[in-house]
Amino acid sequence: MSCHKENKLIAIVDDDDSVRGTLQELLRSAGFSSRAFESAEAFLGSGHQQEAACLITDIRMPGMSGLELQAKLNAERCRIPTIFITAHGDEEMRFQALREGAVEFLPKPFDDEVLIETIRAALNR
Amino acid sequence: MNQSVKMKWAAGPAISITRRYGLAVVSVAAALGLSLAFIHFQLPQPFGAFALSAIALTFWYAGTAPGIFAAVLSSIVRDYFFDPGISTESRILFDLVFLIFALLMTRVVRERNQLELRVAERTAELTQLNDNLKREIAKHSQIEAELRLSEAYLAEAQRLSHTGSWAWSPPPGDIRYWSEECFRVQGFDPKGGLPRYEEFFQSVHPDDQARITEVIQTAVRKKEEFEFDYRIVHPDGEIRDARSFGHPVLDASGDLIEYVGTIIDVTERKQAEKERERLREAQADLAHISRMTTMGELTASLAHEVNQPITAAVNGASTCVRWLTREDPDLGEAREAAQGVIRNAKRASDIINRIRSISKKGESKRQLADVNELIREMIALLRSEANRYSISVRTELDAELPKVMADSVQVQQVLMNLIMNGIDAMKNVDRERELAICSQRAENRLLMISVSDSGVGLPPDQEDKIFDPFFTTKPHGIGMGLRISRSIVESHGGRLWASDNSPRGATFRFTLPSPAEVGA
Repeated sequence: MSCHKENKLIAIVDDDDSVRGTLQELLRSAGFSSRAFESAEAFLGSGHQQEAACLITDIRMPGMSGLELQAKLNAERCRIPTIFITAHGDEEMRFQALREGAVEFLPKPFDDEVLIETIRAALNR
Repeated sequence: MNQSVKMKWAAGPAISITRRYGLAVVSVAAALGLSLAFIHFQLPQPFGAFALSAIALTFWYAGTAPGIFAAVLSSIVRDYFFDPGISTESRILFDLVFLIFALLMTRVVRERNQLELRVAERTAELTQLNDNLKREIAKHSQIEAELRLSEAYLAEAQRLSHTGSWAWSPPPGDIRYWSEECFRVQGFDPKGGLPRYEEFFQSVHPDDQARITEVIQTAVRKKEEFEFDYRIVHPDGEIRDARSFGHPVLDASGDLIEYVGTIIDVTERKQAEKERERLREAQADLAHISRMTTMGELTASLAHEVNQPITAAVNGASTCVRWLTREDPDLGEAREAAQGVIRNAKRASDIINRIRSISKKGESKRQLADVNELIREMIALLRSEANRYSISVRTELDAELPKVMADSVQVQQVLMNLIMNGIDAMKNVDRERELAICSQRAENRLLMISVSDSGVGLPPDQEDKIFDPFFTTKPHGIGMGLRISRSIVESHGGRLWASDNSPRGATFRFTLPSPAEVGA
């Protein structure tokens, strides 16, 4: 299965309501349109993975983790540029994520300029 | 008894009629014989004197009728044997003398009989009085024995309970009664007799004297009961704690007659209270150490939990700045973003407060608590820890759950221990990891909270040992968590126990009582 990036939709996956919501607002203020999902399973089940031009995901979540989501998407040949945001700045995870093709690995809380620059870079890949 | 005595005397002497009349014949015959003997020896003829003696004798011993018979017989004998030729006048004179003597004797015998009857009656009365008296004495000595026994029991009860009793007539008044135990409690020598009120007062600790004087005087003035704690200084210098209680006794017109009351030695009781207090403090210290240990294990997760709202706040603040610094600033959007910042900053602060209240070492405070709320707060704190091991947390909370009277921090400590144990049991299992927390109402006004996991289950054959101190299956555990949890639950009047789940995992349940007067 392959996916087609026809528009510039950004997908957000985070189990924390307020982080998810404020991130969406931040992207809106920067002129991006986004969709937010409370879990990796919800995102995979929505069918939006084919539209997403960029994925911003938390690593530690109940159920499927961010890394597992990345692996799953890779397995489905759906290589969405992925930015990990996490409170657990685990170096090992950082390397694994980048090896699997992650664009960036940002510790929470992150600088909005850095995030937006990273997103722009990802979208222009 | 009186009746039979009367009958006996009315019937005359209790001898047969033959003997009675025989006595008349024999005595008159004896008089005749003696007179004939006198005549034979040329002595003056004395039949009259002998005959009178015979008549008197017969009357006395044989009764009235035989006596009269003796008199008639004497008259006939005299006529026949002596002076047969005497004139009729002389004979009549003799017969008259016998007759008058007989009548006289009749009266004497009656008097004698009545006197004897009275003596017998009086004797019978005295005998009965004597018997009654003996019975009375026996009864009294039995009552006395019972009283002595009852007093001995009372004295023993006073000794066992360190409670003395007293009576005192105020004021200034004497002590009227002072039980044996009062002597012991107050440190007085029983040989010294009833103590004076001043002596009692002198044995009270100097620092307590003014206070109890005030209490007693006020009570006496109002004719009310009094009760006070005080210290006693014994002659050997030992200080004892005591409590006295006094009850006023009033007469019919409402005037104070006396106070009756007790003195109780409460030294041991107070000592035990202090010991219990020390034990409570030690338990609280241990519970605190245990909480801190657990919180230490949770540092990473708690940091994550605080980091989430901070991240959201930073996002909001960035958003706000972006709306404001646009070429065309949008104040409405900026305001909304700023409000989000406030909300999230508050949330971060709430979480920090929660962590702080659990970490805080403080006195145990019991107040009405909503167990569901405590569960929700604890899950919020431990959510990141559960996420870390991909454990999903499910709750089934009874919305109608009544509140409990409890120390919130301690109940949360129990929840934290059980949830942490559940997470620990599932860390390394390769199947669905689910932690279920339920609250429900149980019988007897109890609430039951259960924490179930799908982990490794209880250590086989050691189900009972998991509550032992220092029992642990964790590499870094100190083995006090469950022990402390159980003592916390029990100090709240509940129970904590564990059971294996089918097919896997374990469930820990605990109960808490809900106060009767508190509704749902």
